[in-house]
Amino acid sequence: MGERSLAPPIATTTATGPVGAARRPLHNDLLARWGTFGPALLLMLALGVLPLANLVYTSFHTVTWSDGRATFTPAGFTHYLALVDDPLLRAGLKNTVVFAVCAVGGQMLLGFALALLCSRVSRGRVLYRALFILPILIPGIVIGAIWKLMLNYDFGLVNQAIELVGFEPRNWLGDSATALASVIVVDIWHWTPFCFLLLLAGLESLPQDPYEAARIDGATWWQELRYITLPLMAPALLVTFAFRLVIAFKVFDEIYLLTGGGPVTATEVVSFTLYQRFFTEDRAGYGSAMAVAIIFLCSLLLVMALSVRRRSEGPA
Amino acid sequence: MTMERQRRATRRQTLVGLGASGLTLAGTTMAAAQAKVAPITVVINQSPWFDSFCKTVELYEKETGNKVELDVNPFAGSLEKQRNSVRAKQGQYDLLIMNSGWFAEMYFGGFVEAITDIDPGFKLDPDVFTLGDTVFFDPAKKTMSRGGKLMSVPISPLIPVLYYRGDLYKAAGLTAPETFADLEANARKLHKPPRLYGIVQRGARGPATVSFDFYPYLYGFGGAIFKDQAAGDYKVTLNSEQGRTALDYYIRLAREAGHPKTAAMDQADLIQNMVTGKTAHVMMVIAAWSQMDDPTKSAVVDKVEFAPTPHAPGLTTAPGLGHWLGGVAKNVPDDRKRATVEFLRWYQTKPAQMATAQAGGIPVSAAIYREPIADERKYRWMKPLAQSLPHAISALNFPEAGEVIPILELGLNQAIAGETNSVVALNSMADQIHAVMAKYGYNTGKLPNLT
Repeated sequence: MGERSLAPPIATTTATGPVGAARRPLHNDLLARWGTFGPALLLMLALGVLPLANLVYTSFHTVTWSDGRATFTPAGFTHYLALVDDPLLRAGLKNTVVFAVCAVGGQMLLGFALALLCSRVSRGRVLYRALFILPILIPGIVIGAIWKLMLNYDFGLVNQAIELVGFEPRNWLGDSATALASVIVVDIWHWTPFCFLLLLAGLESLPQDPYEAARIDGATWWQELRYITLPLMAPALLVTFAFRLVIAFKVFDEIYLLTGGGPVTATEVVSFTLYQRFFTEDRAGYGSAMAVAIIFLCSLLLVMALSVRRRSEGPA
Repeated sequence: MTMERQRRATRRQTLVGLGASGLTLAGTTMAAAQAKVAPITVVINQSPWFDSFCKTVELYEKETGNKVELDVNPFAGSLEKQRNSVRAKQGQYDLLIMNSGWFAEMYFGGFVEAITDIDPGFKLDPDVFTLGDTVFFDPAKKTMSRGGKLMSVPISPLIPVLYYRGDLYKAAGLTAPETFADLEANARKLHKPPRLYGIVQRGARGPATVSFDFYPYLYGFGGAIFKDQAAGDYKVTLNSEQGRTALDYYIRLAREAGHPKTAAMDQADLIQNMVTGKTAHVMMVIAAWSQMDDPTKSAVVDKVEFAPTPHAPGLTTAPGLGHWLGGVAKNVPDDRKRATVEFLRWYQTKPAQMATAQAGGIPVSAAIYREPIADERKYRWMKPLAQSLPHAISALNFPEAGEVIPILELGLNQAIAGETNSVVALNSMADQIHAVMAKYGYNTGKLPNLT
C-alpha cells in the first residue's frame, strides 16, 4: 500500500517522528490523495458518467415539444419493451453481427498475411508500409465517394471491368444479394491497415530464439507459423480482433454514404437505425433507450473478448 | 430686368432646389429607415435552387442596404441546426428555411412566430401560391387551413413534374401524356433497354425518397394516406383500392417499362439517366430543370420537355409537395423578427420573384408565370408547373411525420424490390401508420385490410 501511496515524499519522512506528529502526515496523505484524485474524479463524472446518466434518464421518458418548451413524460420501460418489436432494429442487429464478423475476419486474415509478408521483407519495407496504410488515412467521406463511383451500376469501374471479361453488370449497392457484401468489402479495404499495423508491431517484437532453434531442428515455414508465431501472437491477435470488433459494431459512415441502409433493410445496421430513430424522427426517449441498449451490447462484446484473452493467456 | 429675372429665377431655382433637397432628404431618410432594420441570419440548405436564392438575397441587400447572412448546410444538417437553434433560450437564426418534411414540427412545437403576430399589417401577396395551405396554421385545431394564422412565406415551391424526351416523342409521333394510361403506353413504346428505358423511377429507400416519388401516383389515382388532414381526420386510407391501383401501376411500370434497378434508384440516378439520354421519362422535382439544358452536364440539351404529372381519367394532376417555407423563429429579439418580416415582404413581390426566376430559381408567385418569360424556350417548364402548383398536396401535416416517412419508405421499397406484394405492403404500412397516429392521440382509424 505504501508503495502505491501518492502522498508527497515529505509524508514518509515525517512519519518517523512522534505519534502526534504522525497523525498529521496521515491527514496530509488523505488530503493529497483527494487533492490529486478529486479533480480527475470530478472530470470523469462530468464527462463520462453524467452524459450516460442523462441518456439513461431520458430513455425512461417521452420528450415532446410545445410552445417552444420540452416536456418529459415518464414512460417507464415502454421504450425498452418497444425495442423488441422494432423491425429496423432487428434487421440492424442481424446485419451488424454479420458485418462485424465478416469484415473483421477478413481484415484479420489480410492484415496478418500482409504483416507476415512485410516482416520478412528486408528492402523497401518503409515503402510497403506506407502503401499498405494508405486507406486508413483517407477520410470516411472520401472513401464513400471513391466506392460509390467504383460500384456504380451504369459507369462504375467494377462493372466496366467485369463487362470486359464477358459478365453482366451488377447493381452492387442496390441489390439485396450483394449490398451488404459490397459494404463489407469496402470496410475490409478501409480497415485492414489498422490490423496490419498492430500485427506487424506484434510480429516485430517477438523473440527470435524460438525461430533460431526451430530452424536448427529443420522446421518448415508452415511449422514455424503454426507452432511458434501463432501461439506467441495470440494475445496481439485477440486484442486487435476485440478492438476491431467493437469499432465494426459501431459502423455508420460507410452505410450512410453508400447504401442508406437499403435496399429494403439489406444493409441496415444498429448505428444507422439509432440515427434514424433519434435524429431523423426526433424521438429522444426511444432513441436514448436504443442507445443504452447498444452501449450495453458493445460493453458485453468487449468484456467477452477480454475474458477470452485472459483465458487464452492462462493462469498468471 | 434681366438681373431681376435672373434674381427671380435664382429665387425660383433656390425654392426648387430647397424642395428637391427636402425630397432628397426625405428619400434618404426613408432609405435610411429601410436600411435601419437589424441584420438577419438565414439557415438554409444547399439545394439546386440555392444559387438563385443567394442572388435574390444579394439584390435585396443592394436595394435596401439591409444585411442578410446565410448559413448554408446539407439537408439533414439544416434540420439539426434549426432544431438546436429554436430549442435554445435565444435562437441564432431569424429566418428558418423549412422543408415540407419538418415545417409541421416547427409549427406544432411553437418554434415559429406567426408573421401577422409580428406585423398585423402583413398581407400575403394574393399571387403567392399557398402550397396546400401549408403557410397557415391554426394552433387551437392543430390544422393547416386558410382559417389559421399566416406562419410562413413560400421560398421555393418544389413539386415533381414529368420530364420527357421531346425529340423522341416527335420522332415517334407521340403527344405529352395526360393520364397514367398515356404515360404507360408511351413509356412502353420507347422502352429499349439497356440503351433506353421507358421511365426511371425513384424507388430507393431513403429520408423521403420513394414515398415522395409515389405521391403523384397515389394522389393521381385518387388515393391518400389520410382521409382529411385539413379537417383533423387522420383515418388511414393508404390501403384503399385506389392505393392498390397506384402501387400496382408503379410496380408494373417499373418492371415492364422501367429501370431494372428501380428499387435502388435515388434522385441523382434519375438526373443521371435523364441527362445521359438513357431514359425517355422521369417524374422528378422541378428544381433539376436547369441541368437538362446545361451543355456541361447534359447530352440532351433542348430535348427535354415538361408536363404536369399524369393522373387517372376524371381526376387532376396531384404532385406531392417537397417545398420550402420561410418562417420567423420565435426565440429571437423583436427587432430581428421585424427585420425578417421586412425581408419576407420584399421576397414575395413580383420584382423579387422575377429576379429569382432569372437567376434560375422557381418563383413562388403566379404573377411570374403569366409574364412573357414563361413563353421563352428556356423557361418552358413554367407553364406546366403553374398548372400543377394549385393541385399540389402536402402529404403529412403533423410533427410526427418523421415517424411515418420511414414506414412508407420501407414498405414501398419492399414492394418495389419484390420482397412482398402490394396488398401486404399497403396493409402493413396502414397498420403501422395507424399505430403511430393512435400513439400520439390523433383522431384516427383505418380501413379494413385489402385482400
